[in-house]
Amino acid sequence: MLASPLLRIDRLTKRYPGVTALDGLTIELPRGLVGLVGANGAGKTTMFRLLLGISKPTEGAIEVCGIDVATDPIGVRSRLGYMPEHDCLPLDQTAADVVSTFGELSGLPARAARQRASDILDLVGLDEARFRPIGGFSTGMRQRTKLAQALVGDPELVLLDEPTAGLDPLGREEMLALVARLGTFGISVMMATHLLDDVQQVCDHVVMIDAGRLVVSGGTDSLLERTGLVTVDVGVRGDELVAALVLVGLTADAEDGLVEVTVEGNQQMDLLRDVIAERGLPLYRLSTRLTSLDEVFLRLAGTQS
Amino acid sequence: MSVAGAGAVYDRGYRPYDGPRGGRGASTFALYKASIRRALGFRRTWRQKFAPFVLLGVVTIPAVVNVGIGYVTRDRLDNKIEIITYRNYVGVSSALLLFVALVAPDVMCPDRRQKVLPLMFARPLTGVDYVVAKVGAIASILFAFSFLPQVVLFVGNMLVSDSAGNYFTGHLDILWRVPVTVLILAAFYAVVGVAVGSLTDRRIVAGSAVIGLLLITSIASSVMVGDVVNGHGSIAALVNVLSLPLYLRDLVFLGHIDPTSPLAGVSNGGLFAVATYVAILLVGVGVLLQRYRWVER
Repeated sequence: MLASPLLRIDRLTKRYPGVTALDGLTIELPRGLVGLVGANGAGKTTMFRLLLGISKPTEGAIEVCGIDVATDPIGVRSRLGYMPEHDCLPLDQTAADVVSTFGELSGLPARAARQRASDILDLVGLDEARFRPIGGFSTGMRQRTKLAQALVGDPELVLLDEPTAGLDPLGREEMLALVARLGTFGISVMMATHLLDDVQQVCDHVVMIDAGRLVVSGGTDSLLERTGLVTVDVGVRGDELVAALVLVGLTADAEDGLVEVTVEGNQQMDLLRDVIAERGLPLYRLSTRLTSLDEVFLRLAGTQS
Repeated sequence: MSVAGAGAVYDRGYRPYDGPRGGRGASTFALYKASIRRALGFRRTWRQKFAPFVLLGVVTIPAVVNVGIGYVTRDRLDNKIEIITYRNYVGVSSALLLFVALVAPDVMCPDRRQKVLPLMFARPLTGVDYVVAKVGAIASILFAFSFLPQVVLFVGNMLVSDSAGNYFTGHLDILWRVPVTVLILAAFYAVVGVAVGSLTDRRIVAGSAVIGLLLITSIASSVMVGDVVNGHGSIAALVNVLSLPLYLRDLVFLGHIDPTSPLAGVSNGGLFAVATYVAILLVGVGVLLQRYRWVER
């Protein structure tokens, strides 16, 4: 079973009256941490509903963990965990009750569900708050509870819809760290977000959609292209380096204490190295600058439109 | 050597689950249990427990009083006082309508209002399973709350009678008539209550709608039927949603419509009562399936 890809989507289209939410998507995704990226209204939540089998595609087919969603939606749901974006927790119940109830709803026996609820709430950092009503929780604690209910059934794949929405910077970092840990537990993750930084930080595969159409799908590293810029840190002698590089015909600029040099090919790279060495400059850092996922998305989405 | 007071924090990490796992049936049963817990106020504050159990006490009082009077008058050879019969006691159970108006919306509305449904339907659960679990939970509680007082009445009467054995063998028909009629009543009020509760996400609106539906149809029916003179009622009696199951109760206990009821004297009245009962049940179930069919769309 583990040999099958995480997700196989073939010409997936979903139309609502007057709007096409997804338009002919064809993707095959490996297991691991996958980011589903797109602007608001791009079709991310629709995609999740289709994966869960609670919405039927207008055309096309979906296989999740090797199971056809159209023929066995219940089988698919038995292997999935889902964390919606919106508030969805019963506020008058304790976190322990809610998570154990959802464990039972996932098919676990009552005793196992209670035990797992305790373990998972511990894992997401809610061990001490688990007997408090959710109505008194902060946004961060509610997000963690939502993540806990998604994990309690021990899913193969967890669908996370905007897991960092509404969180402060610290809460966001903690949530992303939790998501990253799931990969080490052997749980695949599909994280829908419009925050490309989150995906770049956590995911090893990215699917970008725009207005229901596939923009690009690929490994995160492969999408982060070289920009041709090299960043050099020579401490306080940045201006001296810029002047020396301009003398040998390279384009360079000092910014925020760092020197950015336009380098085309190995020959110019060697030239940069030689200038630094000849001047006896202290070299603290030399790195090629990569594009951000934001830049990739804007460029590719712009090309398509 | 251990160091007193020294502690360690362990990261227990994540343990996969490799035990048994149920399918749709297990999920439906889990939702059924969760709904019963919610309705009875288990794992909730005492205020949520108060209403159901006070109501259980109230509907049990007539049985206790009846048994008490039976005990006091046990030595009288004739004119033994019986303040309530098993058949009439099924009618008293319609006091549980208050319970339905209170509990059915509480079991249905928060799922919509707090948007919990997407979480539920991300599990091995269909819309039909959801409806079965919710109706089943309310019907089970109504059955229990209607049946337990009858058990108190039966056991009490048996114990205060001259011969418990004779009483038991002389009332064997009660052992099937009471459960059947209580089931008819519980299923009806559960479907009506849950169906009305599914139409809104506000508990107060749903509760008022349940009570309003039953009272308005009751009043409308009374106005249309008027006084029952010489056992001549009217087919308009069937408009009364509140009393409709009681005509079926009479069919089970008496074999015919009670001559003093508003449906008395109507040709094929029993048949019409059964047909109306089934029609209302089907409408209720249809409303519920319609409300939750989006899960399979």
